[in-house]
Amino acid sequence: MLKGKGVSTGIGFGKIVILKNEEKVIEKRTVENPEAEMQKFKQAFNQVIKETEEMVSKLSGTELDIMQAYLMIMQDPSLISETENAITNLNYSAEYAVEVGFNSVIQIFENMDDEYMAGRSRDIADIKNRVLSKLFNEETINISKLEENTIIVAKELTTSDTAKLDFKNVSGIITELGGTNSHTSIMARTHAIPAITKVEEATKIFRNGDYVAIDGLSGEIYLNPSEEEKQKLFKLKEEIQKENQELEKFKGLETKTKDGYKVELVANIGTPADVEIVLKNTAEGVGLLRSEFLYMDSENMPTEEEQYNAYKEVAEKMQGKSVIIRTLDVGGDKELKYLKLEKEANPFLGYRAIRLCLDNLNIFKTQLRAILRASHYGNLSIMFPMISSIEELREAKKILEECKTELDNENIPYKKDIKTGIMIEIPSAALISYGLARECDFFSIGTNDLIQYTVAVERGNEKIAKLYTKFHPGVIKLVKEAINGAHDGGIFCGMCGEAAGDELYIPLLIGLGLDEFSMNSNSILKARKIISNLEKTECEKLAERILMLSSAEEVEKELKKFSQNK
Amino acid sequence: MIRQKVTLKNETGLHARPASELVKLSNKFKSNIELEVGEKKASAKSILGIMSLGIKVNTEIEIICDGEDEQTAMNEIIEAFNNNFGE
Repeated sequence: MLKGKGVSTGIGFGKIVILKNEEKVIEKRTVENPEAEMQKFKQAFNQVIKETEEMVSKLSGTELDIMQAYLMIMQDPSLISETENAITNLNYSAEYAVEVGFNSVIQIFENMDDEYMAGRSRDIADIKNRVLSKLFNEETINISKLEENTIIVAKELTTSDTAKLDFKNVSGIITELGGTNSHTSIMARTHAIPAITKVEEATKIFRNGDYVAIDGLSGEIYLNPSEEEKQKLFKLKEEIQKENQELEKFKGLETKTKDGYKVELVANIGTPADVEIVLKNTAEGVGLLRSEFLYMDSENMPTEEEQYNAYKEVAEKMQGKSVIIRTLDVGGDKELKYLKLEKEANPFLGYRAIRLCLDNLNIFKTQLRAILRASHYGNLSIMFPMISSIEELREAKKILEECKTELDNENIPYKKDIKTGIMIEIPSAALISYGLARECDFFSIGTNDLIQYTVAVERGNEKIAKLYTKFHPGVIKLVKEAINGAHDGGIFCGMCGEAAGDELYIPLLIGLGLDEFSMNSNSILKARKIISNLEKTECEKLAERILMLSSAEEVEKELKKFSQNK
Repeated sequence: MIRQKVTLKNETGLHARPASELVKLSNKFKSNIELEVGEKKASAKSILGIMSLGIKVNTEIEIICDGEDEQTAMNEIIEAFNNNFGE
């Protein structure tokens, strides 16, 4: 049995499909049909050249000179003459021919006594790897069309992987990297797929087609499980199903505490397709529609029409329930192919989200117009991410007004009283919440980033992951500040980070007066059950006790104690 | 066929960028153009060929041009060497 970190609960059984198996061992193989093999090679090679040409066309200065030389190396017939020879005359497979052919060139450079020239062998090796990965991609399974009960194994899933993934046939995900809050984990929980991360060497240990059983709670993985193990897991699976049935009772109910304090229970979604799960779990709205799917999924900047159609689809499907659309939140860890962003030393503190939008008005206005137009078909609101100052909010609102005027002039209908809110995810915003609340209609606290910025711990950095905790008293004080500011200004305050759906955290948030809880659709019913079991007054007392504590450890202990006594 | 000797002055040797300049220039001509360093020889129209010669600063190179435009080719190539390929 192998063990990793369980990040999305559930039991899954299925056959393994490995994604992007890097550093593949290339075995010597001969083929019957060298012409077809040559074509396969040429296709892969030309693709790599084309991609490099595209890259080169966006460069300037020294970088351009270097890349042009690199491109010229690729176009030099002698680079591939050995590879072609190996295919035509030795009948080697395209992969093996590339391995042998390119290595002969690599060796010429490696053996040179000039350090610079020896270094060029790495450039050739890089070209080789790019061609090989193209060749292997052709063979890998199309992840948007998988066989039933597939367990995906990868180093890490990228946003574009998950955007394409055929979720209904995925019964589990195993990755080498990533933590509880990594992109893969969040997606897995959204789709109720058991997932395990931090399984070292997973892409090497497993083979395509291996049968495994995984437990997304304990993080256990059984390769070729014994009858006994299978029985144990089937039983567990049944228990989980029973618990889910228990939760069914909470479908369609109001969300309120025993003493009648009502809150909004809404969902976080990433694409229009997610609306189905939202409705199934009877969320009362969408507290966060991440608009990035439109941008990350596409080769070009999405047009106003494309965006409008997507937002309209969500608005209509939600049938008048509130949907909060967050404007483009890229930069840092989320890049776009067609928007060339400079590499930054600290991308999370850099040019991203609203900062990028306010600087690229055509992108921002296209999105705002699309949201406004779609707002005619449902109850949409607009939310700006990464607001750190009141000036940014004012500037964003000014541009929104410009878009409204444009639409007025074009006689295009939109929801005139559309609400605008902001994410509270930067400590400075939480601290000026009283002022911000006077100039917008709602807040939504983004705990994932708020924690990262408050404790100065990068979310994805595993070495310091221990310091990243929602239980830090500093984080809780900022949450309180945001809620108090919102209420002082007469607006509502929600939360759309992972903490909003956390069993231990919910009582604290109720005690602090949070109005709206936005979480993965699959956590909705459980959260409703938890809230139905609470009393506002006892939660307020809990919050008071928590605010006196000064360590994350004490906070967690106190919250656990509270939950256990329930 | 004509031959002429030239010495490379680029401090960092004939690395990727100047080599790519030389290829671009050589490709303008119909003549067959080769570089000879010691016992090694390579086409001036192949960047890999040029780089594989590993030419360092102050190395003497013999340029060989053969074809209808050999004289113009030789003149321009020598000039490019003397200009350190614009570096």
